[in-house]
Amino acid sequence: MKKVETCCIIDDDPIFVYGTKRIIKEVDFAKSIIVYNNGQDALDGLMKICIANEPLPDVIFLDLNMPILNGWQFLDEFKDCRSPKSKKIVIYIISSSVDPRDLERVKNYKQVDTYILKPITPDDLAKILGATVES
Amino acid sequence: MKTLAVDFLLKESPNAIAIVDTKLNYISYSNQWQEKFSLSKTDNVNNNLFDSIIETPIFFKNAVNYGVEGKEHTNHGQKFILPNGKLQWLKWKIIPSTIERHGFDGAIIFLEDITVEQKEIELLHKAEEVARIGCWELDLLNNTVYWTKTTKDIHEVNHDFVPNLEEGINFYKEGIYRDKISYLVSTAIAEGKPFDTELIIVTAKGNEVWVCAKGEVEMLHGKAIRLVGTFQDIDERKKIEIAHQQISERLKITTQTAQIGTWNYDLISNDLKWDNEMYRIFDVKENQFSGAFEAWSSTVHPDDKHRAILATKEAIDGIKDFDEEFRIVLQNGSIRHIKGLSKTIKGINGKPIKMTGANWDITELRSTEFKLARSTKSFTETFEHSAIGMALVSPDLKWLKVNKSLCQSLGYSEEELLKINSTDITHPDDLLGSHSYKNKVIEGDKVNLQFQKRYFHKNGHIVHAVIGATPVKDINGNLSHVITQFLDITSRIESQNKLETLVEVTKSQNESLTNFAHIVSHNLRSHSTNMTMLTKFLNEEEDEDERKNLNRMITSATESLSETIAHLNDVVQVKTGALENLQSISILNTINQITKSINGLLEEQKATLTIDISKSHFVNAVPAYLESIFLNILTNALKYSSPKRTPSIEIKSRIKKDNILITFTDNGQGIDLNKHGDKIFGMYKTFHKHKDAKGIGLFITKNQIEAMSGIISIESTVDIGTTILIELKQS
Repeated sequence: MKKVETCCIIDDDPIFVYGTKRIIKEVDFAKSIIVYNNGQDALDGLMKICIANEPLPDVIFLDLNMPILNGWQFLDEFKDCRSPKSKKIVIYIISSSVDPRDLERVKNYKQVDTYILKPITPDDLAKILGATVES
Repeated sequence: MKTLAVDFLLKESPNAIAIVDTKLNYISYSNQWQEKFSLSKTDNVNNNLFDSIIETPIFFKNAVNYGVEGKEHTNHGQKFILPNGKLQWLKWKIIPSTIERHGFDGAIIFLEDITVEQKEIELLHKAEEVARIGCWELDLLNNTVYWTKTTKDIHEVNHDFVPNLEEGINFYKEGIYRDKISYLVSTAIAEGKPFDTELIIVTAKGNEVWVCAKGEVEMLHGKAIRLVGTFQDIDERKKIEIAHQQISERLKITTQTAQIGTWNYDLISNDLKWDNEMYRIFDVKENQFSGAFEAWSSTVHPDDKHRAILATKEAIDGIKDFDEEFRIVLQNGSIRHIKGLSKTIKGINGKPIKMTGANWDITELRSTEFKLARSTKSFTETFEHSAIGMALVSPDLKWLKVNKSLCQSLGYSEEELLKINSTDITHPDDLLGSHSYKNKVIEGDKVNLQFQKRYFHKNGHIVHAVIGATPVKDINGNLSHVITQFLDITSRIESQNKLETLVEVTKSQNESLTNFAHIVSHNLRSHSTNMTMLTKFLNEEEDEDERKNLNRMITSATESLSETIAHLNDVVQVKTGALENLQSISILNTINQITKSINGLLEEQKATLTIDISKSHFVNAVPAYLESIFLNILTNALKYSSPKRTPSIEIKSRIKKDNILITFTDNGQGIDLNKHGDKIFGMYKTFHKHKDAKGIGLFITKNQIEAMSGIISIESTVDIGTTILIELKQS
């Protein structure tokens, strides 16, 4: 199974980040992992990568409830600053929210692939990997 | 010549005759002479005529003297005023006599005193003039016409006017009058038929005069030879008669049309006469009506009989004219109201002789009056006792009459309201609407019959009312006044407003509850999933260091979970029952209390605090909430202070309508409200990288303020500072 080059986790919960990183390693999902603690940090970091012409992550795991810039705001801002030459980034929303309004809202973001309810499991990652490889 | 027979004849002659000799001594005289002219009652033969004669005019003496001298003298009647002033009419004839002719010398004297006859004739002429009755005569043999002076006067012709038949006829007014007289005269001539007619003539001066012409015919051998008659000026009487006739006719028509029955009661012959209208009103037939008075009294309603009969008796006795209203019972049992009036006419001796009166049916009037009274009464009662306000309003919007409900709604007494215009206490924003509504009502617009407007109550608060109006027109069709109904919907509007607020609050509370539920589920899930995940890792982990790390993380997750639950508890407590525990609290005292408790923090940051709060500012609040709010805001100001500046916080209060506005202004980091404005008071929303930022403080603060019916808002500029504005109800 081919693994993802770079995976990005945007979440303010250190325990979740720990757990996710651990599972990624377990299933050998990605070669490298970038972690940002909120939307603003992520936006800033990704911009920096973009400007430095370094490779952007292939997959982003995005939390919704975060301080400073939450998941939705990140999506709005990130859409605006993506350069045309950048490759396709698949974004997965990973959240504890079971609020139907959130599930509905996801449909407005085309760049979001799937809404995954926390906690993330090795099966989830395997599925993602399959889908990513197929595409 | 003196024979016994002649002497006897002379003596017994019906005329007064005296025979005298040339010396004027009586030869003989008739008894009539002796009786009428001789003063002496004894035999006067051989005495001088003038010795014993009554006083006679000098003309007579002369005539006698001439007579004995052989001159005949005749006087057909002459008026004399005697020296003693007495009026005398004498008529005489003196015939001279000679021996050769009559056997003696002297004269025969015929003397007649016609004073009495002449006086009568004179009186007759005078009477003719005064009575305006003239005479006329038509002599058919000579075909001449004779008119007396009065007849000429009536025709207004000169006294020397000599009429003929044709002229006489032509004085009658052309048409029916002339035709009539022609017919009557010719019939009289042809058939000897007398006539008596009243016609109009046109006088010589052109005046129209009513005359009465009467004619009698004198016949000879079955042929009319003469027509004589009278001619009377009856113009005045005739005109009065005609006028009377016209008035009577008119009266008859009037009484018939007005359905007024009239009656006459001859008290002397006890004869009561009704006209047809009376029979109609009393609903009896003329032949049914035998005993006049009894029939009338039998129809009168038993309850009114005593009074009516008493009044009738008084009228008959001439004490008081009848003027009563009474009821009668008709044959079919229905009741009719009658108004009766009478006048009693008294004779010369002052005794009542006649009564005349009128009756008319006032049933409809009575029933209309009754209905009107009932309608007026019911309107008045409705007006007075109506639960809704009612008023009569003049076209210039003055109150003419107001009821209790209206007074109550507006807080003014009736006297106060009647002194002012409705517009005086109308809300200024509704004045225009009131006027256009008034115009619509006057124009009779049936569509917009209701209008909602605001008044000011006497004590200043606003009264909401729905106005309904009905225009009332006067007899000329102009607007007299408007009946206004005034439905006070103030409490309805107030409760509606309250309800709307409540719905708004409920809606927002419901929304925040939904949010809260999701937040709770989200947070609880985060912690629980973390714990599940960590437990799973722990089970699989064999590395001791890593296990310790995992254990530490599980402990941290557990703590987070209990912290979250504690937050939730705080929030839930705010949500329930704050309004019941409101107290009047001094803002200044609370601020002082809080600043004392955070004195350490303030000193640590060298923060300056400016407090500008009036001692008199008190708010309705839950003490614990108010403390918590102030503490939260102040600690936030210190927590998010700018590292570039020494913190400076200014707290102010001022009155804003019924509320007190408290502002906290800091010079801290500020917050980008364009980015975060909608989430600033949200639960678990944090905007700064601060170790203690939990996203719960402002959420609870907002909930506490809203629980006390307050308002919180924020103004902020990044890197300049933040102002939190709080409004709470003043107490």
